[in-house]
Amino acid sequence: MQHMVEGSANNEVLENLRLELRRGCLILAVLAELRSERYGYTLRKALAQQGLEIDEGTLYPLLRRLESQGLLASEWREEDKRTKRFYRLSTDGKLILKQLSVEWKSINASLNEIL
Amino acid sequence: MELIDRYLQAVKFSLPRAQRDDIIKELRDSILSQIEEKEAALGRQLTKDEQVELLKKLGSPMQLASRYGKQQHVIGATMFPIYWKVLKAALGLAFLVQAAASVAMAAAGKTFAQSLSPLLHYPGVALSVFGWVTVAFAAMDFFGAKIQVSDRWDPRKLPPLVKSEPRKSRFELIARLVIQIVFGVWWLAGLHYQYLIFGPGIALFRFGPVWQTIYPLFVVIVLVDVMFTAAMIARPHWTQGRHVALLVMSALGLVVLYFLINTPEVFVAADPNAPELQELVKSVNYGIHIGLMIAAIVNVINIGKEAIRLIGRSFGRASQASVGS
Repeated sequence: MQHMVEGSANNEVLENLRLELRRGCLILAVLAELRSERYGYTLRKALAQQGLEIDEGTLYPLLRRLESQGLLASEWREEDKRTKRFYRLSTDGKLILKQLSVEWKSINASLNEIL
Repeated sequence: MELIDRYLQAVKFSLPRAQRDDIIKELRDSILSQIEEKEAALGRQLTKDEQVELLKKLGSPMQLASRYGKQQHVIGATMFPIYWKVLKAALGLAFLVQAAASVAMAAAGKTFAQSLSPLLHYPGVALSVFGWVTVAFAAMDFFGAKIQVSDRWDPRKLPPLVKSEPRKSRFELIARLVIQIVFGVWWLAGLHYQYLIFGPGIALFRFGPVWQTIYPLFVVIVLVDVMFTAAMIARPHWTQGRHVALLVMSALGLVVLYFLINTPEVFVAADPNAPELQELVKSVNYGIHIGLMIAAIVNVINIGKEAIRLIGRSFGRASQASVGS
């Protein structure tokens, strides 16, 4: 019984750490994918095709947060008889993406050494 | 589609008002895009069960809507450790005050129910203390965040290191417990059989009536004193125990002093018909009253010092924890 409790506590810890680890990576991936204009659904599919699954409940609020931070620009346009919100990187977003990419590569190289 | 609309309506209810319509429009498009793609792959319309599955993957409406809100808290992570320490100290202090009021009422001869009343009111007092402390810290956190005080901290102003006091050995504590019990029994018995305390002096003096009035208070003091020592034997790592014990005993002592100072006859003459003895007792009582006044002042200072030390130690540890984190 105690093992079960410890096991479920460990799973919870693992899940929280996994989410923390993914959070920053997803931001970078979303910014990178939005170098070309996309709407939410196609962005999600593009990320999934490259092995980064992200649910709507995470993606759409993230897009709004990045837009409110001035990293993304968006506009409503009609496509396939439905209005969709298209997102793309703003000028500030491009700059931040460049800086974050450098940071990511540095962390990645260090971690490869450490791990 | 009715199911989708019902889902979106439920999500909309919990969304920030300014963005509601925009978010719902985008979510609707996303859900419909998924349905269209699945229907194209299956070559038929999705069944209700399949729509339910799709919505379940999105999470409950409340859960989904909550992700659009800003992260909210009343007291932030930086302020929380200090808030928690102060809250515990304030709740403890409030309990001491209520307990002292109960003891004072019992000593003043009030009925058991009346005496218990301040203690029974503690939950209400605690709730009020919790409310005020929380509001005060929430305000500090809010305005602190606005003016960004955390950027102006100076390492030279950090609290001094908290020195851990040498712990008493278990043998010392057991010896102390035995002495406390012997002294307590002697004192409580002596208040009834006064020759145990006065010895040959019983021919001259007796305790005044006030000592019988505050007898229950002495019982409480002896019990509390013994209980604190027993607690320290059981929990040797409870380093704050000595400070808490000193604080409680000083508070109870203050109640005793209050009663003694307010009575003209701390001691009475053994023979009420001997005028010389009456004069002597009068002089003794005068001297005793001056002594009691000084004792009360010292006691108040001690209570203040112990309370500040106790809160200060908590603050010191909380600040060091915040700096360390």
